[in-house]
This record gives sequence, structure tokens and C-alpha cells, in this order.
Amino acid sequence: MNPDLDLSIERVIRAPRKVVWGAWTDPANLAKWWIPAPAVCRVDRLEVRPGGAFVTRMSDDGVTFAPHVDACFLLVDDFERIVFTNAVDSGWRPANPDPVAMTAEVTLHDHADGTDYRIVVRHGDPAARDRHAELGFADGWGTVADQLTRFVESAR
Amino acid sequence: MAQYLAKLDGVFLALADPTRRAVIHRLGRGPASVGELAAGATMTLPSFMKHVRMLESNGLIHTAKSGRVRTCELNRERFAVVEDWLAQQRRLWEERTDRLERFVTKPKEKDTK
Repeated sequence: MNPDLDLSIERVIRAPRKVVWGAWTDPANLAKWWIPAPAVCRVDRLEVRPGGAFVTRMSDDGVTFAPHVDACFLLVDDFERIVFTNAVDSGWRPANPDPVAMTAEVTLHDHADGTDYRIVVRHGDPAARDRHAELGFADGWGTVADQLTRFVESAR
Repeated sequence: MAQYLAKLDGVFLALADPTRRAVIHRLGRGPASVGELAAGATMTLPSFMKHVRMLESNGLIHTAKSGRVRTCELNRERFAVVEDWLAQQRRLWEERTDRLERFVTKPKEKDTK
């Protein structure tokens, strides 16, 4: 883990590991949670095996669908681990995804209360960061974001 | 990326004015009518409306008219463009995990498994 580039999430989900696995690997299930409502998700390809395609599209009106994820599974251990990346697209072509290239690793373990669910997302150095530097925000960027967030939140 | 920068420009342009910042600040507490918002400003209503329209066209607020009252509401998603990129990705994955959790713990969904 590189704290400047990576993020991790750990959570205990109160559902059996097989159910969580099914939510990830069944296209109809994935479509129900992958994208926030009211946007509609369409799972075009979900070939859950190493090298398999992972393609989802999204729509605001349920009619016109725009590209969302075009990625490739790197590793799959049934009921335990899924690793995929958008740095290589579903056709194995090296990609330059917006806003940033990443590899996501999802691991599931049994837990007394359900499933020990962990995600590690490793990012490439994002294009956005370079653009921020160009804009002169490189150092002050985090501060600006924090201040603005506090400004908006404080009024709540 | 170009789209992202255009959004970013819009946000900063919209916030580069004390009247508009005051409107954002007030709307942080919840929706308000144009009348309420204008009451705090020292300018004519038409001038004030220009600021409201600018905030709306840059996507920082939504407005809706009901009868004679136009209500303004903050569009919090819009502020996400000024978040640090890693914070933004973290939020995306946290929210994604929230939705997964809700999906697998809904009793109905469990029964179908």
C-alpha cells in the first residue's frame, strides 16, 4: 500500500460469503448496486475468470447508455478473491482510463457475523494530478478542497 | 479530462463572488426560496437573479418553481469535482460498498439466493 496512491476499505457485511460473492459475479445482481440510483446500470460483460472482460454501461434515462467500466479480470479465486484492472481494457488493449488507472482487489473471508469484506484499490499516478499541478494547485489543492468542504458542511 | 476541467472552472467561477458564496453558504443549511436568499443581499432582485442563474447554470444549485416561489437547493455532487482525487475514489468505493451491503442484507434478496 502506498498511502499517496492507494485506498483500502474493510468492513464486516452481515451476509454469508456466498451471497456477497453472488452479488459481485451475477450480472443481474451486480447491476442492482454497482451504480448509484437513479442512474441505471447495464452489465454487458462479466466473465469472472482471469483475463475475462468486465464491461458495464450507465444511463440516466434507461434508454441511452454511456461507457462506465471497461476492464479486465486479472485473478479470480472462487468465493474468495477478485482482482481487476481498468489499465487493460476488456479486449486486453492497454488503456488510459479517466480519471485514473487502477487495480482493485476484493477479498472475502468468513466472519462470525457474516463476511469479512476487504478492498484494496491501487492507483496509477492520475492525469488529474498532473493537470492540477499545471493549474497551480499542486500544493494548495488538498487545503482548498478541505476548506470548501468545511465551508459547505459548516452551514448545515 | 476536458469535461472535468470545464466543471472545475465553472465551480471556481461561481464561487469567485461574495454574493454567490453567501448563497452557497445559506443553502448549506437546506433549501431556501429566492426571496429569502435575496433578503440578505444589498442589490436589486434582477441583479440577484443573475447570480442565482449563474450558480444554476454551473450546476452548483438546482432551482424549482412552484407557483410564484422559486426554491433553490444545493447540488452537493457538484462540489465533488474539487475534492482531492484520492478522496473522490475513496468515496466512490465506500458508497459502492454501502450499496453492496444493502443489497446483500435486504431480506428479500437473501431469500432468492
